[in-house]
Amino acid sequence: MVALVRARERRAVRRAGEAGRRVEYLAFVLAGETYAVQIAHIAEILRPPPITEVPRAPATMLGVTSVRGKLVTVISLRRRLALPEAAVDRRSRILLADLGKGEQLGLLVDEVQQVWRLAPEEMEAASVLGGEQPAHLAGIGRPSGADGTVLILLELRPILESP
Amino acid sequence: MAESGGGRGDGGDKARDEFLSEAQELVDGLGRDLLHLEEGLKRGRLDAELINDIFRAVHTLKGLSGLFGATRMAGLSHELEDVLDDLRLGRIELTSAVLDLLFQAVALYARILASEGGNGVDPAVEVEQLLVALGQFSQRRAGSAAGVVSQYELDPGLLGVLTEYEEHRLRTNIQQGQGLYRIRVRFSLATIDSALDDLKAKARPHGEIITYLPTGTGADIDTIELEILIASRASVEVLRGAITGSDVRIDEVRRRTGSSGPPDLRVSLQPATVAQPIVPPAGEDPSLPPHEAAKVPTQGPPPPGPPSLLPSLPLPGGAGPVLGPPEMSLRSVSQTVRVDIRKLDRLMTVVGELAIVRTAISNLTDLVRRRGIDGRELAIELARLNRTFDRHLSQMQSGILEVRMVPLGQAFDKLARVVRQISREHGKEVNLVVTGAETEIDKLIVEELSDPLMHMIRNAIDHGTEPREERRAVGKPPVGTIALNAFQKGNQVVIEVEDDGRGMDPVVLLEAAVRRGVVTREEAKELAPHEVLALVFRAGFTTKKVATDLSGRGVGLDVAKTNIGKIGGVVDITSEVGIGTKMTITLPITLAIINVLLVEIGARLFAVPLASVKEAIALDESQVRTVDSREVLTVRGASLPICRLARLFGIRGHARERQRAFVVVAEAGTRSLGFVVDELVGQQDIVIKALGKSLKSVRGFAGATELGDQRVALVIDVAALIEEVLLPAETRFLASAAEGARN
Repeated sequence: MVALVRARERRAVRRAGEAGRRVEYLAFVLAGETYAVQIAHIAEILRPPPITEVPRAPATMLGVTSVRGKLVTVISLRRRLALPEAAVDRRSRILLADLGKGEQLGLLVDEVQQVWRLAPEEMEAASVLGGEQPAHLAGIGRPSGADGTVLILLELRPILESP
Repeated sequence: MAESGGGRGDGGDKARDEFLSEAQELVDGLGRDLLHLEEGLKRGRLDAELINDIFRAVHTLKGLSGLFGATRMAGLSHELEDVLDDLRLGRIELTSAVLDLLFQAVALYARILASEGGNGVDPAVEVEQLLVALGQFSQRRAGSAAGVVSQYELDPGLLGVLTEYEEHRLRTNIQQGQGLYRIRVRFSLATIDSALDDLKAKARPHGEIITYLPTGTGADIDTIELEILIASRASVEVLRGAITGSDVRIDEVRRRTGSSGPPDLRVSLQPATVAQPIVPPAGEDPSLPPHEAAKVPTQGPPPPGPPSLLPSLPLPGGAGPVLGPPEMSLRSVSQTVRVDIRKLDRLMTVVGELAIVRTAISNLTDLVRRRGIDGRELAIELARLNRTFDRHLSQMQSGILEVRMVPLGQAFDKLARVVRQISREHGKEVNLVVTGAETEIDKLIVEELSDPLMHMIRNAIDHGTEPREERRAVGKPPVGTIALNAFQKGNQVVIEVEDDGRGMDPVVLLEAAVRRGVVTREEAKELAPHEVLALVFRAGFTTKKVATDLSGRGVGLDVAKTNIGKIGGVVDITSEVGIGTKMTITLPITLAIINVLLVEIGARLFAVPLASVKEAIALDESQVRTVDSREVLTVRGASLPICRLARLFGIRGHARERQRAFVVVAEAGTRSLGFVVDELVGQQDIVIKALGKSLKSVRGFAGATELGDQRVALVIDVAALIEEVLLPAETRFLASAAEGARN
């Protein structure tokens, strides 16, 4: 029996290795739900520095801040995803998102949790939710061995392109 | 980006950037050389070396583009190379039609580069058209005029090793009636390079060196005898006087007597006997194929020293397809700055000095930790370190600013090409006179400046300069002049674009502005003369459909002004009917560091560039009147429109509203506006940084700056705010409606 389990594990490991498609996701909290984005797109996680509000900017934009001398626009991910407002507290973080091209943007989140390595079979496409889903919704992550954890997987590109 | 291929992968982007940057430089140089070539041609002189330079540049471009998979560019270069090769070998004649094609090629190169760099579309169709046109030319070759050479008593062995190019130069010189001379010189092998250069320098004023070869006779281990063939109008005595030396012998190459129709030179000249040249000629370009790698010392094009006269051809209608869309851009693809290594060395030295300061600080820290220093001593030591650090920091700062500086000539060179193109399109003859091309300015500003300047020049040729007959009728020189003057004025650089055309008629302008809805008839009556002229910068302004001979005036000028405003510049305009128009651009020398006035609005800090601040005064509310829903303050008996920034920016609810506020009087160009702020904080040098693309749609801010304590303050874009506040909403609406209708 034990041997059987081992064998299955080995197969699982091999399968993951063959596919090579385990993707690392960074999980964070927004309004009580756990979201995750590909960590490859996050350059840095920052404690919120002072943010300077830019008058007449769109409401999702909290303002600008300086990250080691570089100006970065910070957007509130809560506002972008139409979630209720919350004050910045000591657990708040800014994810510095970088798609390689274009501008780096800071995304304010409530709390950063951990990194998940998700295999393809641990992810469901957004279409399982049925109907038309917003472009930034990539799917649902259900890491095996973490009972009941559900990650809302976000696609950063649409968010960065129209913050 | 259809062209991109190999050369990617790790570090591929960087290599690609370098490719773009190098190609851009080559293309810029190409355009410059073509202009010089044309200039020479007009004076009846064909500069052979310039054609060589152009050929080499195209050859290098071909190699580069091949390397980076830019097939379109490689294809164009290949065909151009053929035509240029024919040109330099005299197989085809350099006519203005050929020049046109070459200029078109430069324009296309720029567009291909832009599309390679990810801006704009690949001009595939235009390239194909040009390739066809070029192909026709390279087939229409002139017959060989070989015959003349064999009339001279030249050693067939010598003739046998001439390259095709040398052969061509030889023929050309003979056809021009130059005499041929043979110089035999013995050189010491140790000093041959410098001695040969020396001799060439002596010979050059008198004629053209066709070739030089070792004679293979009379040489010992330490010396070598060269035979130099030179074509000259001078007599043998003059040459003997000019080219002196103990081992120099000069003879005239005589014509054969009674020579008859000679056979084709190339048939009789198959490389046979004679030794190959063993002395590598100076200035040999290893990138050229072997048969090209001969002689003709290379020289750069004459430096474009001010004032340079860059004329353009008068007549339209050259051969080939008409290229160059009206909305082309002169911006470079590359953002590279070439830096003199000595400047970097100086910076490196400063870095070294800063390292010393750091060591001193860490020593001091140790001392403090071990309590080996008392408070007073520590204070003195820290103050000393602070001074040193400060000094080095400002050296560093000015050093880096210096590195960013490039001569305005970078933009002007491209404009010379534009003048040529536009004046041909419009069939007007125009001379561009440039002064101050060496004036240095921040690289970013130069880049931002190219397109606005192009619009201004286009406007000047299109609408300012009259046709030849009209000019003659009013007693002006038939060829119009556009002056492009640059000079430094304190901390600013001034650029003037001045034409000697018909000037702008305020009456016509006003009429057009009213008709286009840019101003109302009532407003029109109120405008001062200079304000009338400034109407040409309004969006939607054009005299199109009003007076046929003024059609389209103002197109692009509003954009030009906006873009200049973005880099902190202002444009003023003066014009006199019948005399001409002058646009004056005033720019900061550098974008990077500016002096600002920090102000507080609702407990938030904002920076106002001091360059546009006239004064700051306390606000006396009793002096504020509301005129036509706009607040106006009376300052020393004059009216000043004011704008409450807290209200404009929607910054609300602050106790300071009851306190005394201040007015920062700012100006842009000829207009002034008072910004009402809560508090004046002070003056500071700041490094201004652009806001991200995501904030592009937000008007009124030129950028932001870090204030040292990690706080960021927004820098107010004075020109944009003045525009926004003083331009009444309804006219802006009308203007944008008119703009929409026009497009």
